[in-house]
Amino acid sequence: MAEGFLTREAGVREAYAAHAGELYGFALRSLEDPGMAEEAVQDTFLRAWRAADRFDPELGSLRTWLFAILRNVIIDLGRARAARPAIGGELPDQGHEPFEDILLNWQVEEALRRIGDQHRRVLVETYLRGRPYAEVASELGVPEGTIKSRVYYGLRALRNALEEMGYEG
Amino acid sequence: MKADDCRVWRERIGALVLGQLDDDQRASTEAHLDGCPDCRAEAEALAPVAALLSRADPERLTPAPAPPPYLGDRIARRIAAERRDKRRRRVRLGLGLGGACAAAAAAALVAVVISGSPSAAPSETVAFRALPGDASARATLEPRPWGSTVNVRVRGFRPGTLCEVWLRRRDGTLVAAGSFRYVYDGESDEAELSSALTPADATAIGLRAGPKTFVAPLPAGSAARDAALSPATNKEEDT
Repeated sequence: MAEGFLTREAGVREAYAAHAGELYGFALRSLEDPGMAEEAVQDTFLRAWRAADRFDPELGSLRTWLFAILRNVIIDLGRARAARPAIGGELPDQGHEPFEDILLNWQVEEALRRIGDQHRRVLVETYLRGRPYAEVASELGVPEGTIKSRVYYGLRALRNALEEMGYEG
Repeated sequence: MKADDCRVWRERIGALVLGQLDDDQRASTEAHLDGCPDCRAEAEALAPVAALLSRADPERLTPAPAPPPYLGDRIARRIAAERRDKRRRRVRLGLGLGGACAAAAAAALVAVVISGSPSAAPSETVAFRALPGDASARATLEPRPWGSTVNVRVRGFRPGTLCEVWLRRRDGTLVAAGSFRYVYDGESDEAELSSALTPADATAIGLRAGPKTFVAPLPAGSAARDAALSPATNKEEDT
C-alpha cells in the first residue's frame, strides 16, 4: 500500500471493502444505533480521504489508522449527543463504559468470531459460561482430553487473531 | 527437552492459564514449567490472552451486522462531490490545494437537530411544533475556501416536500443555501447544498419545508476558531 493510496477513489473503495465491516460492527456496538453507526463510518472514510496525505504506512497499518479516526468520530458523536438537551426523553442514556474498554471488549469478541467454530465453542462453554469439561465433552461427543487441547489451540488462535487485528498486548 | 516431549504439558497450558486445572494437575504442570523454559514462555505468551478473554460477552458472538449495502456508494458519492468542488475552486482561483485547504475542508461540523421541543425552538419555529414527533432535520456545515458546504438531512416529511435552506448573516440578512425536494428512497436522504457564507459568518440556519420554517442557531464563531486548532477531529454540535 503506497502513500497517498487513499487520495484515489479506488483506494477508498478498497479500504472500504477491507475494513468497513469491522468499523461498522464496532461503531454499532459502541453507539448502539444503526443510523449513527452509518454516519460514523461515513465520517471516518471522509476524514480519512481528506487527510490522506497524513497517512504514513510506515507508522502503522491502515486499519489502525481508520480505527483511530473512528475513535475520534465516535467520541465526537457521543459528546454531541451528551451536549444536546434531552428532549422528551427520547435520547438514550449513553457513555458509561469508557471508550477504550468498549474497544477492547469488542476486539476480543471480534477475535473470537474469527477463530474456528470448534475452538470458539470450547472457550465459550468452558470459560465464559464456566461449564465443566466433562459436560462439554459429552455434549460434543469427544473425550475430555480433546476439550483440553482445543482450549489450548483455541487460545493460541485467539492470540493470533488479536495480533492480526493490531492488538499489542 | 524437545517440543514433542512437551506436547502433553503444552496442551495443559491453556487450561492452566484459564484456571481450569484441578490442584494436582496444576501443581504438576507448574513443576514442569519450572524446568522447561519453552513451556514457560508459552504459558507467559498465553496468559494475557486468557486475561482478555473474560471481556467477551458470549451473547455478542453472533456474526456482526454488516453495514447497509448502499453505504459504500454513498461515501464514494460524497467524496466525488467534494473532489469536484475542490477541482472547481482550483480552476477558478488558480490555486493549488495544499494542506491548509485539506484542513479547512475537514474542519468543523455543526450538526443541528431540530425536534419537537419549545425549548429548542426560537420564535421562528412555532409551526414546527405541529410536526409529528418522528420528523427531524439535521444540517452539517463544513467550511470551504469559498463558503460552506451544507448537508441537510430531513426525515419524516411528506415525500416531494420542497425544502429551501438559508443561512442568517450577522447583520440579520438571509443568504440562500439552495433548495431540494425531500425524497426518501430508503437510501440517500441527504441533500448537499452550498452557501457563500462560511460557518463562522453564519449565526443561524433555516429550513423552509412547505409552509413551515425551522431555525436553529449556530454557535458563534466557534467553527473557524476550532478549525484552526485541530482540524481533523473538530465537531461542534448545538441545538
